[in-house]
Amino acid sequence: MSRNRPSRNLHSIFERSMREVRRSLFGWLFGIGGFSLIMLSIYPTIHGNAGFAQLLNAYPEALRKLFDVSNYTTGPGYLRTEVFSFMAPLLLAIFAILWGADLTAGEEERHTIDTLLAAPISRQRVVVEKWLALVLGIASLAVALEVLLGAVGPLFKLHVGWAPLSAAIIGSALFALAFGTLSMAIGAGTGSRGFARGVSAAIAVAMYLVSTLSQLVEWLKPWRWTSLWYHTLGIDPLRNGFEGGHLLVMVACVAILVVAAVVLFTRRDFSN
Amino acid sequence: MTTQISEVRKGEPVSSEPVIRLDHVTKHYRSGGGVTDISLSITKGEVFGFLGPNGAGKTTIIRLLLDLIRPNSGTIRLFGLDSRAESVAIRRRIGYIPGDLGLYERLTPREILSHFAYLRDKIPWSKVAPLIDELELEIDKPVRTLSKGNRQKVGLVAAFMGDPELLLLDEPTSGLDPLVQQQVHEQVRRAASEGRTVFLSSHILSEVGEMAERVGLIRAGRLVAVERVADLAQRSAHVVDITFSSPPDLNFLSSLQGLRSSSVVGNQLHAEVTGDLNPVIALIAGARITDLSIREPGLEEMFLTFYEQPHV
Repeated sequence: MSRNRPSRNLHSIFERSMREVRRSLFGWLFGIGGFSLIMLSIYPTIHGNAGFAQLLNAYPEALRKLFDVSNYTTGPGYLRTEVFSFMAPLLLAIFAILWGADLTAGEEERHTIDTLLAAPISRQRVVVEKWLALVLGIASLAVALEVLLGAVGPLFKLHVGWAPLSAAIIGSALFALAFGTLSMAIGAGTGSRGFARGVSAAIAVAMYLVSTLSQLVEWLKPWRWTSLWYHTLGIDPLRNGFEGGHLLVMVACVAILVVAAVVLFTRRDFSN
Repeated sequence: MTTQISEVRKGEPVSSEPVIRLDHVTKHYRSGGGVTDISLSITKGEVFGFLGPNGAGKTTIIRLLLDLIRPNSGTIRLFGLDSRAESVAIRRRIGYIPGDLGLYERLTPREILSHFAYLRDKIPWSKVAPLIDELELEIDKPVRTLSKGNRQKVGLVAAFMGDPELLLLDEPTSGLDPLVQQQVHEQVRRAASEGRTVFLSSHILSEVGEMAERVGLIRAGRLVAVERVADLAQRSAHVVDITFSSPPDLNFLSSLQGLRSSSVVGNQLHAEVTGDLNPVIALIAGARITDLSIREPGLEEMFLTFYEQPHV
């Protein structure tokens, strides 16, 4: 290629962030796609299997609630248990937490932040462009999940309406986005990827437990509203579809976290 | 110490504001270190060298100028603008090479330079390509495969692209082979000849002496001296090394005027003498000597003579 031309598709911070995550994002797409296909390929043996239903009904109530096995042999029930009770939101959240910290603290740890912030751009813009890249990264994983489960699922006799499926996937993506943004914010405030990832992951797990255990433990029930898991997946989106109030809570939380990331990043001393 | 240069170059408009002005700037880190009560101004077109051992505070000052860190007290103005409130406008006019240059390892120099050209108000590639050619930089291999010298060239192109009015160069030649060092010097000289301002830090004294007109010496976070390189040379001592054929009689030294220091090891005399050298020549005229050297001191020795500090 001639020296007389700049790179065609790498200009803004958003574009550069996407370019840097490209290979890793393909890996995650592959992983989530593989996981979905395995789950789908198992479903035909479970679909309408009365024996399975009997077996599960014989489980103690606590286990049935904990692993969310009601209607396991139907499409939505199977997806709820195998995909959305834990794995899919977890995978999205891990991706978001890992990358979120890298977007802020990673740049600092690799000493690339100096030349970046010496350019005539505001720190707000740096954070917002990076956050938009995070949104696009999570969204592309969510779309892959939606296409596989919604469009490929019927080939494996798995039928679930687009609306409930979208509600569950958007719930998972919002959960991941909230923790990815938290990870970005902590990374922006501390400059440590490890710390940002550790704290974000610990809070995500704690919120998952609060929401899930509140079905079993009576005294936790009044507290489940503190859990972002409850507002996204605890409300059983595969059965109930979108719920405006909970969606609003999530949007507000993400907005607050974005503002926190901007404020923390803007106030930082980047002292090497 | 405040240093004001009121010299006005012919043909240039009188500018009331220096390019860089620090007033009683203090920045201390929680972990220790930093700079204390720094006052300094640098005029347009000047090449200012900032000298001091590692950890003395050179990098701290450059980072303060870029608003990467904020002072505890004092004010910093660049181009007459406030370093914090108007930082974006200031950075529009600055090219910067950090001391510890980090590059995006997965990207190629072409991608990195396209990125920075875009961020710096969309500098057209036609202003970037000549620098790439001049430095003979290979731009399509991933940065992680590049040598230290080639990585620094990426940093150089990024700093010099778009002809910024002020160049902040933090240890721009450290760890580079002499060829690349020469290229850095060449770029600095050209910037200076075009009337742009250069603020350069180094712990290598000869390098600063070669490029800078004025030098500031920083030690343990304090600016201990600011001198013109020319003044230093004029006022500094010559270094005289004489090897005698037998142990010398030291008595003659006491009558020597302008003697700053002397030491004798075996047959060898090492002395630093200011002013007229003729008395030295006269004194050794009768002695049998096997070797003689009289040389101009390096910048390091100049500073040592003036500030009589144990080490730089």
